[in-house]
Parts: sequence; C-alpha cells; structure tokens
Amino acid sequence: MFKNPWKKCGIGLVGIFLVAIFAGCTNSESGQTDEHSENSASSEALLEQPWEKTEAAAENSQVNLYMWGGDEGVNRYIDNWVAPRLKENYDITLKRYPMDITEVLQKLQTEKRANKETGVMDIIWINGENFKNAKENGLLWNSFSDKLPNFKKFIGQDRADLQTDFGTPVEGMEAPWGKVQYVFFYDAAHIKKPPQNFIELAQWVKENPGKFTYPEVQDFTGSGFMKHLLYDKMGRDVLENELYREELTNEHGDAVWQYLNDIQPYLWKNGENYPASLTELDRLYSQGEVWMTMGYNEARAERLIEDGTFPETTKSFIMEPGSIGNYHFLSIPFNSPNKAGAMVAINELLSPEAQLEKMQPSVWGENTPLSLEKLSEADQEKFKNIERGDSVLPSEQLEAAYLNEMDPAYTEWLKENWMSEVVQTTH
Amino acid sequence: MKLFKQRIKPYLLLLPSVTAAIVFVGWGTAAALLESLQDWETGEWTVVYYHELFTNPVFWDSLFLSFSTALLSTAVSVVLGLVVTRYLYHYFRKNRWKLLVWLPMLVPHLVAAYLVLLFFSDSGLLSSLLYRFGWIQEMSEYPFSVQNRQGTGIILTYIWKEVPFVILMLLPVYYQLNSNYEAVIRTLGGGSWEVFKTAEFPALAPVLTETGIILFSFTIAAFEVPYILGVTYPKMLPLLSYQWYFENDWSSRPAAMAVMMVTTFLTLLLAFLAFGLSQRRRNQMSRGK
Amino acid sequence: MKSFIRRTMKITVLTLIVVGLLAPFLILGMSSFAHEWRWPQLLPASFSLRAWTVVFQDSQLWEALFVTAVIGMLVIVLNFLLGLPAGRALAYEEFKGKSLIETLLLLPILVPSLAIGMGLLFTAIRLGMADHWIGVVLIHLVPTLPYTIRILRAGYENIGWKYEEAARNLGASPFTVFKTVTFPLLFPSIRAVAALSFVISISQYVLTALIGGGQVITLAMIYYPYVSGADRPVTAAFSLLFIVLTIALLLMFESLFLRSRKKV
Repeated sequence: MFKNPWKKCGIGLVGIFLVAIFAGCTNSESGQTDEHSENSASSEALLEQPWEKTEAAAENSQVNLYMWGGDEGVNRYIDNWVAPRLKENYDITLKRYPMDITEVLQKLQTEKRANKETGVMDIIWINGENFKNAKENGLLWNSFSDKLPNFKKFIGQDRADLQTDFGTPVEGMEAPWGKVQYVFFYDAAHIKKPPQNFIELAQWVKENPGKFTYPEVQDFTGSGFMKHLLYDKMGRDVLENELYREELTNEHGDAVWQYLNDIQPYLWKNGENYPASLTELDRLYSQGEVWMTMGYNEARAERLIEDGTFPETTKSFIMEPGSIGNYHFLSIPFNSPNKAGAMVAINELLSPEAQLEKMQPSVWGENTPLSLEKLSEADQEKFKNIERGDSVLPSEQLEAAYLNEMDPAYTEWLKENWMSEVVQTTH
Repeated sequence: MKLFKQRIKPYLLLLPSVTAAIVFVGWGTAAALLESLQDWETGEWTVVYYHELFTNPVFWDSLFLSFSTALLSTAVSVVLGLVVTRYLYHYFRKNRWKLLVWLPMLVPHLVAAYLVLLFFSDSGLLSSLLYRFGWIQEMSEYPFSVQNRQGTGIILTYIWKEVPFVILMLLPVYYQLNSNYEAVIRTLGGGSWEVFKTAEFPALAPVLTETGIILFSFTIAAFEVPYILGVTYPKMLPLLSYQWYFENDWSSRPAAMAVMMVTTFLTLLLAFLAFGLSQRRRNQMSRGK
Repeated sequence: MKSFIRRTMKITVLTLIVVGLLAPFLILGMSSFAHEWRWPQLLPASFSLRAWTVVFQDSQLWEALFVTAVIGMLVIVLNFLLGLPAGRALAYEEFKGKSLIETLLLLPILVPSLAIGMGLLFTAIRLGMADHWIGVVLIHLVPTLPYTIRILRAGYENIGWKYEEAARNLGASPFTVFKTVTFPLLFPSIRAVAALSFVISISQYVLTALIGGGQVITLAMIYYPYVSGADRPVTAAFSLLFIVLTIALLLMFESLFLRSRKKV
C-alpha cells in the first residue's frame, strides 16, 4: 500500500500531530481536574490549619517564582542562596522564571478569562499600581501574610507604614519583601556639587546639555522621577496621605509639563528619545553618555561599581522636597498550583537571615521591611553593622527625607498625558 | 486508477503543510480579528476600536515610521544584495566566501541589534574611533546617531541581516543564467546595462519580488529589533501593539489587536499588488514572444 | 588600466565585506572579557572572566541551552516533515490551484506572527498547549515553514527529477533513492533549512514568551532582559552563546552528513 515514501511521511506526520495535540490536551486536562479538586479543597484550609501542617504539605514540592530577570545580582541571590536553603530546610524546589510583572498580570488575566483554575505561578513580585490592578481584578489568592510566622514575629499587622501599598489597602494579600528609597546617582568626576532641588537641576541640565535624561513614563523609574516633580509642584500635604484629586492635576499640571518641556531640549539626544527603561539609562550612565542616573534602592550602585559597570566615582544624592520610598511585596496568584509551598517560601524570604544576606551591598543592597526592634539583639547588631558602602547616603539623611508614595491615580495621570504633553510636542 | 493517483498525489504531498498554514494563520488571525471587533467588557460587536485607532495621531505616526522603515530597509537590502551578487557571484562558488556571507544569518536579530548599538551608539566604537582621529572632541559631537526618529539603527540592523539573505536567494538564479545570452547581447554591441536589462532582469524579477515581500512583511511586523533600537515616540507598530496588549487592564487589548490587523491588511494588500504586477509582466512578456 | 581599477575596486569591496562580517564577532568576544571599557577607549582597560562566570553560574543556563536546542531541533524535524513533500510537489508537479496553494504557504510570513501569537494564545490555553514546549514548537513553525518550503522547492528544482528516475529505473526502492540520490544532492538546501529554522526558532522572544508563558525558558528568555541593560560583558557573553549554539548544531549536521556518505 505504501509504495511512495512521501505518502508514508505525510500520514505519519498527521499521526504525530494528532498524537501530540491529543497528548497535550489530555495531559493538561487530567492534571487540571485532579489538582483542581484538591486545590480548592485545601486552599481554604491552608489559612486555618497550624503552620506545621502547611510546612508538611509543602514538603517535596516545587514553587515557581515569577520575577523580572534583568539584574544578575538579584538572580544570583535567588538561585544560589535562597533556593539551596529552601531545598535543605523544607525540601522545596524553588524555580525562578524571568518575566516582567506586566506580562505576568496579563497572563493571569488571560488565564482567568479562560477559566484556567490551575495555573503555573506560585509567587509573584509586585507592588504599587500593579498590586492595585491585580487586587481589583481578582488575580490574587487571599489574605495570607498574617499566617506567616516570620511576618507575625518580625513585622506584625499593625505597622502603620505597611497598611497600604501606594494607597491601596494591603489587607494581607501580599507580604513585604524589601524597602527602598528613590535616589539619584552622579559621577563625581564630572560633577562637583550635585543639585539640591529641581530649580538647580534645571540649571545644571542647561549648563551641561545632553548629560541628563530620565526614563519614559511607562517605566517605574521614569514615573518615579516625575512623581518627585509632582511633590515639588503640588506640595507634600495634599499628596502624601490623600486620595487623587482632579482639581490638583488641573491646577498644577501645567507647571509640571512646563518644567519637563523647559529642560527637554537640553536632555540626552535633545529630548527626542528617552530611555525605555532604567537598565537603558544605566547603560548610558555606565558609558558616560549621561552623568546622572537614578532609581529606587538607595544602595544599588555598590555592586555595579564593583563589577566595573558604573564608574568608581559614582555617588548618590537626593533633592528637595525629599525622596520617595516604598515597599515591594510578594504575593500568591489566584490559580497557584502550590499555595502551601508559596507560603513556606515567602516565610523563609522574610527570615532575618535571608533579609540580612539580601542587604549585603555585593548581593542586592536594599533595605529590610523587618522591624529591627523586634529582632534578637544579635541580629539587630548584624543589621546595624552592615557596611552599605560609600555610594549610599547616611540612613539619618534618608529617613529625614522619606516621602510616602502617592495615590496610583497620579501615575495613571502621568502616563496618560506625558506622551502628548512632553514628547509629541518636539515635532 | 493510476491516473487518479497521479492527479491526487501533489495534493496529498501538500496537505500537511497547507493544513498547518491554514490552521495557524487562519485561526490566529480570525481570533485576533474577533477580539478587535468586540467590546472588551460586554463582548458586543463594535468598530469603535478601529475608529479610535484611525483618529489617533499616535497610530498614524507609528504607521508612517513602520512603513518607511520597512520600505527603506527592504529596498536597500535588495539593491545591495543584487549588486553584490551580480559582481561577485563567481567568488561565491567557493565555499569559504559562501560561509562568510552566511555568518550574519547565524546571528539572531536581537544580537544583531545589540551589535549595532555597540558600534554606532554615541558611546560606541565608531564614536571612540572618531575621537582618536581627532574628528570629534566630545561624545555629543558624534554625527552618526542611529537611535533616532527616522529608525536609522533599525534599518542598519536589517540591512546587515538581510543582504546575505538576498544574496542567497539570488545566487541560484545567477548560476542558472545562460551565459550565451550575454555573449549575444555583447556581440550586438550592448553594454553591461543592456545585458542586465534584457538577459538578467527578467529571470531575476520574480525572485526579487518574492524576496522583497518577505523582507518587507518581516520588517514591518518584527518586535525584537525596534525594542532595542527604537525611540520613545513614535514607536514601530509591533511595539505599540505590544505595549497596549500588556497595559494594566484589558481595555486596550482590542486596540492592540486592531493595530496588528491593520498591519496584516497592509502587508497582504502590498503582497497581492506586487505578485499581481509581476505576474502580469510575465504574461505580457510571454505573449510578446 | 581599467581592469586594474576594477580589480582594486573588487578587492576593496571584498575586504569591506570581510571586515563587516567578521569584526562584530571579534568585538563581542573582546567585550565579553572586558572589565571596564568606556568611551573613548578603543580597547578595554582591563580584562576579567566575570561575565563568563556569571553566565555559566546562572542556574538556568544549562537547562535553557538544552530546552533551546531541543525545541530548535524539533522545529527542524517538523519543518522537514512538512517541507520536503511540499517542496517536492511544488517543484515537480503541475496541478490545478498551484498558485493559490503557493500563496497560502507564504501566508505565515505575510501575516505578522505577533498577531497570530496573540490570537492563538487563548485557544492554546484552552487546549493545554500554552505553558508547554509542544505549543512553543508548534508556534515556531509559523515563522519558519515558508522559508523551508521555499528553499527545498528551489533545491528540488535545481537537481531535477532525472537522477531519481534513473535510480528508480535501475530498480532501487523509493527509500534507497531518497537516501542515496536525493538526499546527497539536496544536502545544501537541507543544511540551509536546518540553519535557518534553527536560528529563527532560537531567536524568538515574543512568541515564546506568549505561548510558553514563561514556563518554557529558552536562551532568548534569559537574554532579553539583559540586552538593553548596562552590563555589557554579560550581554556580549550571552550573544556569543547564541551564535556558538547555532554553529555547534551546523557542525553536528555536517558530520552526520559526512558519516552517512561514508556508509554509502
């Protein structure tokens, strides 16, 4: 019958296709239903049962952590320090998947629409408007943070600064992982005295054309820069603890755009192009194309200096009216297949040891959300003795300048208008 | 029976690949089209997303940039590839030359874009070289910025990547060209241009058309290169679509799909026009004979 | 005199081509070992192995290399299974609707693959093929198959059907004909298909991210967040890995071919 080998090929191929598709379907479907029934039954119980039971349930399981993968130090911390520890202490295999948070949320949303009850992500790294968005769309699992022993012991539910995340009530839907403040970095080889406020910054930009820029508004760091400008133009009282007020943006919006338009011709590339991300701005800074960079995490320059990426003469500064600080969190998606494992892993990430390691300048360098006074004397000593490095400002100065994040609606407003008010005007 | 088998054979051979093409492209495009025509919350039919798109200057600027970038890089690649092949095809018979031309094909687009950055950015190697020669005193004087609103860097990347592709498409045609034609034309007193026009071009035209269309549709729709070398505004169409697709809530997703549908429509239209033209030319020529 | 000018011109052009094609690889190599390399230094100020240590210490690297290579090879295999019969039919047969079929087969590159990927995502989730390497392999067929068919068709046209016929007349079975006659003659095209579909497959970021849902970690998934970043040596090292992977595959292919020839 099969005289022609091509026909054989063709038939074989169709066969392979069908088998592959069939295998793919049945595989996932059977997996889905099994895990699903188990999942929904146990996920409520997870929040009731004693912690030992959760630990036992997490044993010998895999936890998938989805996070942005562009920082080699952060990746190494997860892969080479956290993962082996979880394996040793709890027999949990932690697997890190590099993915931007916007893509993570879009994926969760698509899965929710497709009724995919058993997803693939167990832990996601999140804060700010992304948290607001995820919470409002029901993409997160439940209130879990006060079930974690380390959270109860070292942070506690009553911490005033952790009640909201950019104004959105946290309500235990995410657990704080790190604390950062927004600072500017400059190359002291070129700049003797960094600007003290936005007026001086504008002067400096005009005197040094092409040597300054900021990331576009879609980027977290870019909108962060503009939020400092909002603080400068609108004042601290109305932004720090209050909800979005449209009359404020109506009244002061022009001043904000005017400032940005005013400096635009003197920016890198005459303001025709802005870095798409913080990493791109860092690249420009590392090559000397610009002389300043910026960003959340007051200590992030240390490791980059050590690697030879940033010049050794890199220092940091903050300007009037202050430095916005925030927390970033870990959360569990609604369709996590291993919620017990996720809880155990997050608990471990909040342990003093893990936080101490993370704060080392050669690892990640960022500050801890733990309340130091709740730690043992020995641990307190260790945290106080960390040498954060010469490029990091003294902690008193940082604390004195601390500004809370504002309502994410302001970021939305910036995102909606920056492109048309500032960028498109250069045509 | 045998005749029937003979007749059905080509269809059987083509069945798997045609099925794959139809299933993937048909299904994917249909799903995207449906999503662009439905309200994202209620699912009702609407053309509002297209209406918004066509009244949005952001879209038009992106469309213009994408179109000109794709057209320019395709045209330059095809012409350069043609010139190089025509004058150097003897060399390419040797394997080492052929291998050399293959090299850029082995480099992924992402990496190629990074290479362009490494060489041509303001702090790149060319800029350092110019400084050493004393032609510029400062980085800001560097004249060949590639990351600009004209998409120069993007075009450069595609040329570096696609000229070898054009050469590889054209080489077989040149090897098959009958050199007697050339001799005849030359004896009749025709110059190189004459040779090219009457002997080479008719054989090349269909391949050139096809190559051009492939390159154009790839360039206008690819994401990776403009991601690295694009500018804040305007963005190339795929980047615009991607940004809307991944924006915080679902509301911009139909618009993202609509952008892709317009791009699809444009490339298909262009492809049919080009193929139609070249077909008609061929018909006319065969009738002329 | 004229021929002298011509020759110098040709030599200049050839040198330019060599430099333009080879220099990037040298620069990448140097950059991956550079410790500090800032404007306007023409060469790195000092060298270090840090970037390569970082790359090879990345716990996901080996798995990613493996996944990338396997997906790439499956894509090649599928391309051959679909492309060989199609290329042959288009080269040797005349039949009704040929031009329509030709156009249909070109569609996957005419329609933006981003549109196809976005459109198929929902269905892929429903079918359980999202977040899975099967889905990624299948979606990688979209940007590769048209090239494959195009190349194989040209290859078949080039060798013609006379050799095969002669072999068959001598009584060889269809499989022997393919193995001893068609395959060796077609090998340049087969090699081209393998290289091209492999390169296209391993450099897909968007399609892999969409359909693979981040679960399928290929080299492109790791490379992508670095590429716009400040860490030039690491980016350079990753870039070289991409190229080395492709060259390794091609060498493997070549040696397979040589061995199969020796046996005959």
